[in-house]
Amino acid sequence: MTENKNTVSFTLNGEKKTFATNPDEKLLTLLRREGYRGTKYGCGQGTCGACTVIMDGRAVYACLLYSNQAEGRSIRTIESEGTFDNPGEFQRELIAAGAVQCGYCIPGMVMSATALMESEKNFDDEIVKEYMDGNLCRCTGYEKIWVALRKVLDRREAASADKPASAGKSSVKGGKK
Amino acid sequence: MKLNQFIRPDSLSEAHAALRELGPKGMALAGGTALHFMQTKASVAAVDITRLGLSFIRKEGDFFAIGATTPLSDIQRYRAPNWAMHEICRRISTHQIRNVSTIGGNICRVFPWADMPVVLLAMNARMVIHSGKNKETEVEADEYFSAQPARYFRDGEILTAVKVPVLRAKHGFGSVKASRNAAAFSLVTACAMLELKDGHIKTARVSAGSAIPFPHRLPSVEAALVGKEAVPAVFREAAAKSAADAKWCVREGLGEDYMRQLAEVSIVDALDRAATFAKGRSA
Repeated sequence: MTENKNTVSFTLNGEKKTFATNPDEKLLTLLRREGYRGTKYGCGQGTCGACTVIMDGRAVYACLLYSNQAEGRSIRTIESEGTFDNPGEFQRELIAAGAVQCGYCIPGMVMSATALMESEKNFDDEIVKEYMDGNLCRCTGYEKIWVALRKVLDRREAASADKPASAGKSSVKGGKK
Repeated sequence: MKLNQFIRPDSLSEAHAALRELGPKGMALAGGTALHFMQTKASVAAVDITRLGLSFIRKEGDFFAIGATTPLSDIQRYRAPNWAMHEICRRISTHQIRNVSTIGGNICRVFPWADMPVVLLAMNARMVIHSGKNKETEVEADEYFSAQPARYFRDGEILTAVKVPVLRAKHGFGSVKASRNAAAFSLVTACAMLELKDGHIKTARVSAGSAIPFPHRLPSVEAALVGKEAVPAVFREAAAKSAADAKWCVREGLGEDYMRQLAEVSIVDALDRAATFAKGRSA
């Protein structure tokens, strides 16, 4: 049994790291304190999605997680997705679509979209909405965000259609993930 | 709620011992999302039970056993014949919450807006409670949800699994959650489990939550269904009797009469879905 450790260790963006923490500290607070400020503080109560990170392949709200819950897990933040000079595929489409207004929601949007693209093969609108419905845009710029995301997904679907059928279908259908 | 300690036990018995020793100063932690809604000033020690092998879904005889720390997203994605839990799980909160929030966390402390207790009441589920030394007790949903379940966890006990019945032929389950938007808390949640025979209702379990202070079954609605034909007119007549079982509360600026009508429509829809499910399965 482990109790009252003042440190937490997890893989952050592919690197094993250990951080000082306390039992009541949220993962979001820890990440931002340690310089991972792309992950935003929005509502602080698991509603807006600005703090979305990926834990063991799943999108989660960092504002609701205690830092100790990340022990031994793999955490990915927006810093793993691209840089200013070399943005990721979805980030490029967001820029091209003019989808970034104030930009505060965008890191969370990108992380949710990443979880979607890495978990699913089927990008039907209903499935995409399921992955994205936990991210709010206060500027209400959903249309352009959707257009940008749809471009990426349509491209991926077209690419996978060119591959043999053995690539498989969505994990939503036909059994436990 | 503030945490003053974070304990990570290596086994169920260690978790039980820690919670027993801590008493009211300790709390089992799974997803942990519910802690944000507990506005107590006192801090507690969290006992993390997420690494004890309690995340699973498996068929055990006439039941599906769902481990207490199984995330709602796993329940949503699980598919098997005679399984009906996925539909309502898709309607609970957002993708990010469902990836963390667990079935156990949803029902160890019942919040007024919780959907899962309503589902489990209609399904006649059983809660499996570990109370040390390999002792496990099964509690039926009617008893478990007769009051806040905290009474079952005062001496270190831990909810380890929830058992929902494998739906048999001519049985159907339906659930409806009425909310302002996809991620919002429920205004009304209604669930129904029907058993049909020759197009008539043999048995019925109907439950509601959110618009009432604590989720419960609707016996007047159930009584009005048994023996009748499974058709919308009968469902509407039965739902109209729900006022005898529940006083629908004013919610988010919506008046009492509006809430009553919303509840009745939700009950009718849940019954209709359950009947369609049952008829489809017997075809």
